[in-house]
Amino acid sequence: MAADFTRQIREKAKELLEGGTVECVIGYETGTDGVSARPAFVYDAADVDRLVFDNTCTHNLVKYLLNRKGKSTAVVVKGCDSRALNLLLSEKQIQRDQVYAIGVVCPGVVEWGWNRRSDRTQDRCGWCRQHTPVVSDFLVGEPVTEEPPAGYSDIAEMSAKTSEERAAFWKEQAERCIRCYACRQACPGCYCIDCFVELLEPEWVGIRIAPEENWMWNTVRAFHLGGRCIACNECERVCPVNLPLSLLNRRLEQEVVDLFDYRAGMSEDAPAPLITFKKDESLGIGE
Amino acid sequence: MTKVLGRKELESWLGKVMQERALVAPRRVDDLTLFRPVKSMDEIAFDYQNTNISPKEFFFPKTDTLFTAEHKDGDIELVPGVVEQETVIFGVRPCDARGIAMLDSPYLDDPADAIWAQHRARTTIIGLACTQPGPQCFCSSMGSGPDDPAGVDVMLTQVGDDYAVEAVTEKGELILQSAELREADVSPSVPPCDANVPAEGIADAVRKAFDNEYWSRLADRCIHCNVCAYVCPTCYCFDIRDRTDQGKIERLRTWESCQSKGFTRIAGGHDPRAQKGPRLRQRFCHKLLYFPQQFGPVACVGCGRCVVSCPVNIDIREIISDIQKLGAEGG
Repeated sequence: MAADFTRQIREKAKELLEGGTVECVIGYETGTDGVSARPAFVYDAADVDRLVFDNTCTHNLVKYLLNRKGKSTAVVVKGCDSRALNLLLSEKQIQRDQVYAIGVVCPGVVEWGWNRRSDRTQDRCGWCRQHTPVVSDFLVGEPVTEEPPAGYSDIAEMSAKTSEERAAFWKEQAERCIRCYACRQACPGCYCIDCFVELLEPEWVGIRIAPEENWMWNTVRAFHLGGRCIACNECERVCPVNLPLSLLNRRLEQEVVDLFDYRAGMSEDAPAPLITFKKDESLGIGE
Repeated sequence: MTKVLGRKELESWLGKVMQERALVAPRRVDDLTLFRPVKSMDEIAFDYQNTNISPKEFFFPKTDTLFTAEHKDGDIELVPGVVEQETVIFGVRPCDARGIAMLDSPYLDDPADAIWAQHRARTTIIGLACTQPGPQCFCSSMGSGPDDPAGVDVMLTQVGDDYAVEAVTEKGELILQSAELREADVSPSVPPCDANVPAEGIADAVRKAFDNEYWSRLADRCIHCNVCAYVCPTCYCFDIRDRTDQGKIERLRTWESCQSKGFTRIAGGHDPRAQKGPRLRQRFCHKLLYFPQQFGPVACVGCGRCVVSCPVNIDIREIISDIQKLGAEGG
């Protein structure tokens, strides 16, 4: 499978670069450990043989399109990544005619780490109900029938705890955070020109790298992604101190599904609930 | 004859150290190993390759108070930050100890940084030689080695079930007074770290390759988080901001990195390093060119943490090799 996917991606990349359809193809290549994939930017058709696709291709490459606004770009997207394309299209951050999506029907990716050589499929791939990209211009692999969404057992477990227990758990996590902002930098939904955490006027979050401020940072970031997170889980993957950030993201995702029956990034034009005003809408809150 | 400590004697010595000073040691925190204050032996992870984050935070804390200002008798009093706690860090790898010693140059050169100086004066470093270099390790290429005692106060090297003990500094001798050392006929040795990163003459190559398009292409992949800088034992940049809370004013210093957007933004909004390429280049120019120019050594000790932790595999070993090739071609 991997070899065939790699061949198809290389052929398509060659065609797009030679024909001048795009200036750059963003895909994956093998990293310095000789095992795990890393993002690759190919500008020249002669270099397409650098490109690979296998079950270590975990990165969501859609984030990089935000650095290439106004430049024609092809990007390799798995199912989850393709939802980020829709998110950025619906939020008018990228233009459809400048992006060529090479979709890959994703068989699931393994736990990623430099020289890690893992065979264990990531947890998020078990929850995933979008193996086939929701948007693509060329599809690698055969579309699969997706199962209906399943619940999250770890979220249920967490919700069953008392608020004191949850607070204690998150306090411990916040203690570990070093505020490197890798979560934000990897997230396709985090593209504010000035992130609230770095604003000085007003100063929403203090500068200290300490539990209170760290917690404020992680909580507000999670809320900014409520109804926008597309479940690529990049934030959790890149965290150098392994904070379980997806617990927050999936809890908020559930909330939005329950209230609005909405999942971010499933289509380019579905109105996003948290930025859509309906005069007669009532959530039954505070009445 | 070599002075040695058995595992039991090592533990009883650390136990005594702990009673008089704060003991910091590698500790498992979920699936990470981090330097943390420990209160008992079973909290210490003796079996570890290296910690996920360097021990620099015990000299250059993530957050530190430089001074506080308070209203007192109608006046304003400035109270400088004071480090009183005597601390012993156990299990520091030679690469990390060398990194800390290296930062004495920027922090203790005139004018000396008072906080760094106090941490250095009050902290004793017990080094532990590496018996198994990791796949990411390249200390030997950077002028050190898995049992290099430079930068530690006491060097321990595991020999069978025992630890060979070397007092490297006076501070080391002092802390060893409470240890039950015995003599043994052993000669400590560890396997070499044989990674081969071509660091010789790298400063010159970086200078030649300064304007090369290489940096922009490399920066395509970089997501400009601060992971590399924060896990690094030799990255020492910071931010300073004042914090006010109910009339109390604190001047805080926290970790910061050249990869942050706005790190070089100046009044009026101009940012001389707004582009991705120059921003990423700065990290490597500082380590491989500016630091050696100013202080002598290349500011990388080969611990390999950035190699492991980078979410997109920006690999300093690969970059050094690439830049040497570009330099040889004239940049």
